Parts: sequence; structure tokens; C-alpha cells
Amino acid sequence: MSTWWQGAALVAERGLVENVRSRSFKVVTGLLLLLSAAAVTIPQLVGEDRTTYTLATTGEAPADVVAVLDAAGTAADFTVTYVVREDEAAVRTAVRDGDATAGLAAGRLYTSAVNGGTFPVVVAQAVVTAETSRLLEQAGLSPQQVADLRSVRSPEQVIVGRVDDEERAGVGLLVGVVLFLALTFAGSAIATTVAVEKSTRISEVLLVVLRPSQVLVGTVVAVGTVTFVQLLVLVAPLVVAVQVTDSIGLPPVAGGDLTLAVAWFVLGFALYAFLFAAAGALVDKITEVSSAILPVTITLFAGYMLAVTVVASDPGGGWSAAVSIFPLTAPMAMPIRWAAGQVPVWQLVVAIALTAAAAALVASIASAIYRRALLITGHRVKLREVVGGRAGS
Amino acid sequence: MRLEVRNVSHSFGNRVALDGVSFDVLPGVLTGLLGPNGAGKSTLLRIMLGVLDQDRGEVRYDDRRVSAEDRRHWGYMPQERGLYSGMSTGDQVVHFGRLHGLSRRDAASRARALLAELGLEDRWDDRTDKLSGGMQQRLQLATALVHDPAVIVLDEPFAGLDPVAVASLSETLRQRVRDGRTVLFSSHQLDLVQDLCEDIAMVDRGRTVMKGKVATLRASSGRRQLRLQVEPPNHEWLLAFPEVTVVGDEADGLRLDVPDHIDPLEVLDAARATGRVVDFGLDLPTLSQLFLAAAADQAVEGAGVRG
Repeated sequence: MSTWWQGAALVAERGLVENVRSRSFKVVTGLLLLLSAAAVTIPQLVGEDRTTYTLATTGEAPADVVAVLDAAGTAADFTVTYVVREDEAAVRTAVRDGDATAGLAAGRLYTSAVNGGTFPVVVAQAVVTAETSRLLEQAGLSPQQVADLRSVRSPEQVIVGRVDDEERAGVGLLVGVVLFLALTFAGSAIATTVAVEKSTRISEVLLVVLRPSQVLVGTVVAVGTVTFVQLLVLVAPLVVAVQVTDSIGLPPVAGGDLTLAVAWFVLGFALYAFLFAAAGALVDKITEVSSAILPVTITLFAGYMLAVTVVASDPGGGWSAAVSIFPLTAPMAMPIRWAAGQVPVWQLVVAIALTAAAAALVASIASAIYRRALLITGHRVKLREVVGGRAGS
Repeated sequence: MRLEVRNVSHSFGNRVALDGVSFDVLPGVLTGLLGPNGAGKSTLLRIMLGVLDQDRGEVRYDDRRVSAEDRRHWGYMPQERGLYSGMSTGDQVVHFGRLHGLSRRDAASRARALLAELGLEDRWDDRTDKLSGGMQQRLQLATALVHDPAVIVLDEPFAGLDPVAVASLSETLRQRVRDGRTVLFSSHQLDLVQDLCEDIAMVDRGRTVMKGKVATLRASSGRRQLRLQVEPPNHEWLLAFPEVTVVGDEADGLRLDVPDHIDPLEVLDAARATGRVVDFGLDLPTLSQLFLAAAADQAVEGAGVRG
């Protein structure tokens, strides 16, 4: 069937070239690039002001404690300011009112229940270290020996466990969001392309040379490729930033999950793209595209909502299993469930097979609708005109 | 190669669009599919091109049922102009050439030659929507001819063209016919194309009402018209010819329908006896007159069958 692919490839090539040359592609891609670059750089710029903790003490803070705290601040990227209060009660008040993160007075460490995070622990450690050093020196150790003792570090920690389920679930949710957003834009582009070809009667010439399936697959591949390229544009600065600066913490994600995510994206895209293409063939005027694709958009939205509500809340339930296997919802639901780690492999295989089969079925139905609806002009085509019985005119 | 339409029928729901239409298109013979709007011409062409399926009958090419592979090499120009508005003129022609199976290189060289033939050579890089209507029509023709098809089918190619464009399109089609191509076009402007086509198939309400060589059809219709301009204008001498009817009486003279058994020269002599004949001529009926007569006959026949 090499000629089938050649025909589809020609349609795809033309669509791709026209799309990439179009002004809207340049504008959208440029905006995405800006957006992505901003998302990477702005947090970095804003993140320049480091975390600052405040320590309240009665009288000057002990020099050895300050030395330990400043060293910890340099290592863990925070700064400490010191405020002096008259007595223990004033230190207590300062911490309670939020004027200080922690307070040291009369051998007590005052902390608030809400603020400070690990800072009080660091202060406590600093006090203990200073006191231990003093005692060690009193016990006859030289300052050098004390310094050596203080430089002892606990072993470096290396995380080797499985990728955290929460982060995996994030990948699953991301597939759903990205698929939903990408299809919302790409679906409209596909339907518009089909509608333009119908209204200009180009489709009539195409159908002499090509089979409807070639035209539809070519169109879907062209718009799909553009969408994928734009997604890459969106993530490219992020990837570069991770490579170059190493300062952005991406959740560690298993390669298998990513591969599966891409596979689900492609399957879900194909399934819905052909629905959008069929909807586009029903219009009479280009202006009707948005209302013609509304049923498909609603189905897509409902599928997405089902995926995030039912599956995300109870990945192990029976409803979740059903939603993650049913083809129209599977591409958005199954990645979430799979990431939650509660899916038997056979269910995954069945879901993928069903979705692929559904995409092929929708493609063939869409081709039939396309061929019949293309010749019906003068009014918006109703689905029953082109499904089942004979085509009207 | 010969293209045959055999007894093709098609209905849209309860509405019969084509009812057993048959005719042949021969290579080297420019053939017109004629008839009024709504006669079923476009439906028939779409069936011939495989865009639509017939209910009954068949389309044959080269003495066998036409295949999708045959049609892939044909050239087709639909009634409404189908062009990608954002694409450049040259790219568009190359694209359609490649769709029809040409390599990119062949498509490009043929596109250049064809656009030059059609006077669009300096428009290669222009976007389609920047071209005038007449240029778009020629570009459309180029997309249908780029692969040098053996069969060329055009739906209403003359609709909306000015006389210069009609003449240039006619010449393009004649050239293809001289090269031995099989060319069929449809038109509802019967008199506009009567000098262009050699063969016609005339359809009305889904049926073939007339087909054959235009010259033969016009000559054998049994109807001739005598055009006469007599000074001073006077009709009384006509009373001697009760079977001759006046079909037109305008400033440029009389138009008389002269039946077969009356010698038009006798009528002319009678006119000369009454005054000075300024201008005269013997015309065969036009295609639209033949069509009206044929359609009337069919209506009577149809009424008889129904009655």
C-alpha cells in the first residue's frame, strides 16, 4: 500500500508547509516560546532574594552561635538577621507577633507554631554545637581539634527508592491536561482545514485522486505534527534550563512513564482528531465550524472531567477502571491511574488496544462521512443525512 | 481512449437526478455535455470521476469498467473553483501534479510550461488570493492539466468568463483535442459553445434528450431559418406561404421558420418581388432552439406515458 502512504504524505506535507508558513503559526509559536522562557527565567530572577530568618535574643547574640548559624546559612541558602530585646518576655512577644522567627533567652528556644520551618532546629543545633565546642575546649582540646570535630559531616544522602507515586501521578495528570488543551486547539484547526477544503471544492478534486482516508489522515498528521512541535517549543527552554543551570527541580520521572505518556497522547489525539475532521465536513460555511465541533469539544471536556474527578480521587475503584478503559476517556484517565500504580498490566493493554481500534473505526466512519457530506452544500449537513442511508443533496 | 457512459442512474432520496443516461466521448473529438441548470450534468460528471457512486449503469474507459487508478491520471475541474487561497501559484500547480503521480521535478517543469502557456508565468510566487478572477480560473485549469491527462473533464468551465477568456480557454481545449486527448466539458450556455464542440450529449431532467455530432444534429433537424431584411418592411407577401412561420420580427429583419418541403429560394424570390432585399441568410437552428424543441417533445412523450 505504498501509494496510500504516498498520497497521505503529500496531503500532510502540503498541510504542514502551509501551516508553518502561516502567520498564525509564527505568532502562536513565538508566544509559546516567550511564555516558556518567561516561566523558566522569572522564578529564577524572583528567587534571587534569599530566605531570611530573624533571631531575637536578650543582649547580643553569642558570637559562636552566630558563627555556626552564618555557616549554615551559606550552605543552605538563607540569611539570618539578629534583633535584640530587653528581656525574656520581650523575646517571647517578638516571636509570638512574628517580629522574629525564633527567640533565644535564658536557655530557652522560643518558636512559633506556624513560622520558621526548620530554622528553630538549626538554631538549637547551633547552640548545642557552640556549647559542645566550649566544653570540649574546657576539657583540654586545642581549638584545631575542636574545629576538626565540628567539620565532621553526616554521610551524603542518595535517594535510590522508586519514583515517588505523587510525582508519577503528576505525569499522568499532565498527559490529561496537555492532551485536552492540545486537542482543543488542534481539533479546531483540523475541522477548519476540512471545512475550507469543502467550501472551496478542493476536496472534490482531491477525491478524484485520493481516498477520503488519505485526505483525513494527511490532514490530521499535518496538524498533529504542528501541535507536537509547538509542545516541544513550550518545553524546550525548560529542558535547556535544567541542562544548563541545574537549579530547577524537575520531579524525577521514570522513562517508562514518559514513553507511555507520549503513546497515550498520540492515541488520544488520533481518536479525537478524526471526530473533529468529520465534524468539519458537515459545515456549509467556514463560520459554522465552531458550532459544528461543539459536540466533539463537549465530549472531550466531559472525558477530561471524568478522568480528573473519578480517577484522580479513587484510582482503585470500579468506575475508575471503566473510565480508564473506555476509549473516549482512556487517553486522559489511564495515565493517571497507571501512574497511581493500581492498574493490572492486562487492563493497560486492553485500554490501548481498544483506543487504537476505536481510533481506526472513527477514522473509517469519518472518511465515509467526509465523502458523503462534501457533496452536500447549501445547508449544514445533519449527521443522519450521511450515516446509514443514502447521501442527499 | 474512448470514454463511455452506459445507462447511468442516480437518485438523491426520492429525487431522480439521472435516469439512464448514455453517451460516448471519443478521443480527439471535443464533446459538450449540455443542458439547463439542474439537468444533472454535475452529478453525472461526479459519477464519471468517482466522487459519487451511481445507483445503476456504469462508466467504461478503454473498453472496460473504469478504475480508481484510471481516474487518478485524469484531469478534473469542478464547477466551483477549488484552490488553496494561501498557497503560491507555482506551489499549487506542483502540488496537484504530485498528487497525480508526478515526481517533484517533473511537476515543477510541467507547471512552468503550463503556466507560461496560460500566461501566468510571472505569477509563480504570487498567492492565489492575490490573483484576479480570470487568472484564478486559468490557474484552476493548470492544476487540472499539469499531469498532461489523457482524459480531461471540466464542469462549466465557461461560466462567468468574458469573451477573451472564453476564446483563450477554447483554444487551450482545442489544442488538447488536436493532441488526441479525450475532452468533455459541461455547459448550460448552449449557444456559447455550439461552435466549439463537435459532439454533444444534451440532458434534461436527468435524461439524454439528444446526442451526436453538432453539425449533423443541426442540419438534420428538419428546421431551417431564413433571415430576411426587406425594404420597405412588408408582411403581406407571406400570406402565400401559410406553412412558413415568423419566429422573429426585429429591427434587423424577419426570421422565418421554413419547413423541409418548401424551398427557401422560392420564399426569397417572393420577397424580392415585393421590395428590395437588403440582407438575407439561411441559418440552421441553434443548439438552444434544438434543445427547446427536444425538451418539448420529451415533455409531451412523458405526459403521454403518465396519462
